[in-house]
Amino acid sequence: MKILSKIVSILVYVFLYAPLAVMIFFSFNAGKSTSVFSGFSFRWYIELFTNNRAIVECLMNSLKLAVASALIATVIGTVAAIGIYRLKNKYVSGAILTVNNIPMMNPDIVTGVSMMILFVFAGALIGLTERVNFTTLLIAHITFNIPYVVLNVLPKLKQSDPRLYEAAQDLGCTPTKAFFKVVMPQISGGIAAGLLMAFTLSFDDFVISYYTSGADYVTLPVYIYSMVKKTVTPDIYSLYSIILIAILALLIVYNSILSRDDVKRDRAPKKSKKIVALALVAVMVISLIACFTYGGANVTVENLVGTYTTDLAGTELNVYNWAEYISDGSEGALDVVAAFELLTGINVNYSTYESNEVMYSKIKSGSVSYDVIIPSDYMIARMKNEGMLKKLDYSKITNYSFIDEQYKGLYFDENDEYSVPYSVGMVGLIYNTTMVEEAPTSWSALWDPQYKGNILMFNNPRDTFAIAQQLLGISLNSVDKAEWDMAANKLREQKPLLQGYVMDEVFNKMEDGNAALAPYYAGDFLTMQSINPDLAFVYPEDGVNIFVDSVCIPEGAQNLEAAHMFINFLMEPEVALANAEYICYASPNTAVVNSDDYSLKGNEVLYPANLDAIKKEYFHDIDADIRKYYEDLWVSITTEQ
Amino acid sequence: MSARRAAKAAEIKEACPRPSLWTALLNAPYVLWSVLFIIIPLVLVAFYAFTETVNYYDIRFDAGGEHYEYEIASVDGDTTITLDEAKEKALSMAGVDAEAAEFTVATLKNRMGSFTLDNFKDVFSAGSLTAMRLSLVYSLAATVISLIIAYPFAYILSRSGAKSQRIQMLLIMLPMWMNMLVRTYSWQQILENGGIINKLIMALGGQPITMLGTSGAVILGMVYNYLPYMILPIYTTMTKIDTSLLEAADDLGCNWLQKLYRLILPLSVPGVISGLIMVFVPSISTFYISQKMSNGMIKLVGDLIETKIKEQWSTGGLNVGAAMSFVLMVVILICTFVMNRFSDSEGGDVVI
Repeated sequence: MKILSKIVSILVYVFLYAPLAVMIFFSFNAGKSTSVFSGFSFRWYIELFTNNRAIVECLMNSLKLAVASALIATVIGTVAAIGIYRLKNKYVSGAILTVNNIPMMNPDIVTGVSMMILFVFAGALIGLTERVNFTTLLIAHITFNIPYVVLNVLPKLKQSDPRLYEAAQDLGCTPTKAFFKVVMPQISGGIAAGLLMAFTLSFDDFVISYYTSGADYVTLPVYIYSMVKKTVTPDIYSLYSIILIAILALLIVYNSILSRDDVKRDRAPKKSKKIVALALVAVMVISLIACFTYGGANVTVENLVGTYTTDLAGTELNVYNWAEYISDGSEGALDVVAAFELLTGINVNYSTYESNEVMYSKIKSGSVSYDVIIPSDYMIARMKNEGMLKKLDYSKITNYSFIDEQYKGLYFDENDEYSVPYSVGMVGLIYNTTMVEEAPTSWSALWDPQYKGNILMFNNPRDTFAIAQQLLGISLNSVDKAEWDMAANKLREQKPLLQGYVMDEVFNKMEDGNAALAPYYAGDFLTMQSINPDLAFVYPEDGVNIFVDSVCIPEGAQNLEAAHMFINFLMEPEVALANAEYICYASPNTAVVNSDDYSLKGNEVLYPANLDAIKKEYFHDIDADIRKYYEDLWVSITTEQ
Repeated sequence: MSARRAAKAAEIKEACPRPSLWTALLNAPYVLWSVLFIIIPLVLVAFYAFTETVNYYDIRFDAGGEHYEYEIASVDGDTTITLDEAKEKALSMAGVDAEAAEFTVATLKNRMGSFTLDNFKDVFSAGSLTAMRLSLVYSLAATVISLIIAYPFAYILSRSGAKSQRIQMLLIMLPMWMNMLVRTYSWQQILENGGIINKLIMALGGQPITMLGTSGAVILGMVYNYLPYMILPIYTTMTKIDTSLLEAADDLGCNWLQKLYRLILPLSVPGVISGLIMVFVPSISTFYISQKMSNGMIKLVGDLIETKIKEQWSTGGLNVGAAMSFVLMVVILICTFVMNRFSDSEGGDVVI
C-alpha cells in the first residue's frame, strides 16, 4: 500500500511538472527558439537581467494584482460561505450558489466583455475618459476569484461540527469570539486552499484582464498573450524558470530548517496559516527577483533629424501597438520607448495587441483613449470610414519625407491624411527542403496529397481563404458569395491533408521539422530560417497578400502634440533602423533601406528584386454582410468531422 | 456526515435558532457584489443575446451659429452608407452648405437594437452544435479523468505528515503559476510528431504515434490545467477524516473497498462536488487549450464564441457570442443540477 501510494504521488507530480521541465530546458537554449535546442547558454537569463523593462514592469503589475485580488476575494468569499451555510432556506442558498457559479460558467471572453461594457457605461455616467483602469481590473479579478473561495470554504463548513460552536457560546464565548476560536480553525484549510487558487487564477488570467484593463496597467499574461502572432521569446521561459526554481528552493529550505516540527503537534489549526505564510514568502521571492533584474538598456539616439522638445514633459502618451513590433532594447539594441521618454520627458504607457480586430474592439468600446495606434491597411480603411481616426498634421512629422513614394497614397489613405507607413510585409510559402524535394511555385503545393499530415494553414478565416482564393484566381476582396463558396470548397478539399490550422505554433513546427509546408509572413520566415537552415521560401505565382501597417492617431486621443512627436520619432532613420532590424519585416523608410548599417539591406526575401513581377493584393475592408458569410463558412469548415 | 449526526445537528439548529440578522449581514456584502458585478453583466449578456446591434453615424456640426445633430442609419436597404455619404445626407437634411458646416462629431456608433431571435440561428447551426457536443463530451471526460487521478492522490496527501501536506499543497498549485501559453507550448513539444515522447519511442525502436491534434490531446490539456482544482477541495475535506475512524474500520474487519465506500466516500462528497464543478465548468468553455492541443483542428464552443466576439465586434458578433454563452450556461446549469441530485442521494446536503 505504501509503495502504491508513492507511485501514485510520483506519477501525479511527473504529470504536473513534465512541461515545466521542458520549459526550464529551453530557457537555457543558445538559439532563439522554443523548439530546437542549439546548445547550452545563459543568453536568455542575461537578456532578462539586462534589458527587461517591459517584462519586469508587467510581472510586478501581475503580482500586485494577484495578491490584492486574492486577499480581498478570500475575505469576501469566506464571509459569503459562512453566510450561505447559515441560511436555513435551501432555495435562497441554492440561488446564491448558482449565481456564485456564473463567473466560472461564462467563457472568459464573455465575462471580460460584459464587465467591460458595464464599466464603460458606469464610467461614462461619472464622466471618465479612461473607463477601464486598475480599479476595474481589480474588481473583475475579485469577481472571478470569489467563487473559488466559496467552493473551497463551504465543504469545510459542512464538515464542521455545529455543536462545537454552540458549546463555545454556552461556555460564555461571544458569537464573534466563538467564531474565531472554534469555527475558523475548522475551516482554515479551505480558506487557505481558496486563497491559493484565487492567487493562481488571478496571476495567470489574460482574457478577462485584457478587456478590463487600461493602457497603463499591463499584466504579464496579457503581455505574453499578445505575442501570439510572432511567438513567445525564450526570455519569458527564463523568467518563469527563475520563479519556479526560486520557489522550489524556498520549499526545500523550509523543509530542512523546520524539520524539528512535530508532525502531530501542529495538525489542522496552524497548518493553513503556514501555507499562507509560505505562499506569501513565495510571492516576495518573485518580487525580489524582479527588483534585482532591473537593468539599463540602450536609450540614446545619436543623430536626430527631427526636433524634439521637453515642453510636454510629464504628460502621458498611450501607445497601442502589435506585440513584438518595436525595438525593445533586447541584445543591446535601442529601447525605442525608453529613448523617447528620456528625450522628451513624456511618460509613455505602452500596451500591445494580437490582432487588428482586438485593437478595433477595444477602441470601439470606448474603454480607453489611445494616442497612437498601428493598424493594418484594411483596418485603417474601416476606422477611417467609421470616423475613428484623426487627420494627422504632417507639418509636425518632418520625417515623413523618408517614406518611400510607393507606400504613399495607398488605397486606404489615398490623400495621405491619416497614416504614416511603419512596416510592410507579404505572405509567402515556407517549405522544408528535406521534406519537399521539388521547389513549389504555387499554393497548389498545399493541396498535394504526398504531404498529407505535414501541411499547415493559418488559423483565421481571412488569411486562410486568401490562399484558396489566390489559387482559384479570385479576388481576396470578392463581394460575390458564390466565389467565397468556391474557396470554401477548396478548403474543405484540403482539410483531410492538413496537420493543423495554426498561428504562432508555425514557428516551433517549422523550426523543428514537424511540418513540411506552411504559409506565413516573409519576415518571420527569416526568423525560422535562422534556426532551421533547411527552410526555404517562395512567393507563389498565383499571387500573395501584401500588407502595410501604418501609424495613426485615433479619434479621442488626449495628447495630440506628443502623439505627433512620437510618430516623428518612429520615422527617425536610427529609430526606424532599430525597429526594422527587430521586427524583421520590410521597412517603408528609405533611410533604412539604403543604410549600410542595415543587416537586411537588399535581402532577397524582404526586398525581392522582382517585386513588381509578384502578384500582390491588399486586403480591403469587407462589408459586414460578406464578413459574416465567410466567418460562417469558416465555422462550418472547421467543425466538420 | 452520518445520518444520525446530521439529524442531531439539524435538531440543534432548530432548538437554538441563530440570530437571522447576523446571517443577513454575513450574506449582504457578497449578495451586493454579485448583483453589481455578476447579475448586471449577466443581464447585459442576456440583452445582447436577444437583441440586434444597430449601427448608425452620429453626425454633429455647427453652421451659421446653430448646432445640428443627426443619426444616420449605416445601412439603407441593401447598400452600405459611407461616412462621407452620411455627412452629405445630414447636411441636406439640415439644408446647410458643405462649406458652411463645421463637423464636431462624425463617427459610426452602435447601440442595442430591437428584440430578435436571429442570434440563436447561429447558435443552432450545424457547426456550433457539433462544437457544443464536443465541448460537453471532452469536458465530461476531463472531469471524470481528473476525479480518478485526484481522488487517490488527495487521500494519500491527506494521510501524509503535516509539513509534507503544506509543501505539497503549494507544489500542486505551483505549475499553474507558470504562464498558460508557456505550459501549452511545452506540452506541444512533448506530444509533437517529432516531440519528446516520439523521440523516446523511436529510440526504443517503435513507431512514432500521432498525439498532438487528437481529441486525446485536448482532453489531456484540460485535465492538466484543471487537475489542481479537483485535488485541493477533495484533499481539504479528507483531512477531516479522523485516522482513528479508519483504524476502527480496520479493527471491525472492513476491507479497503468497504472503507472507501462506507467511510471515506461519504465524508468527502462535499469536496468532490466542489472539485467536479471547478473542473467541469471552466473546461466546457475553454478555448485556448483546445486550439493549441488540437493544432486548431478541433473547434469547441469557447473557440466559436471567442472568434465571433473578436471578429464581428460591432456587426452582430457580440450578440451571437452572447447567445452562444447563454445556451452554454443552460447546458451547464442542467449538468450541475444533475450532479446536485446525485450528491443528494449520496447523503450530502450540498446545494449547488
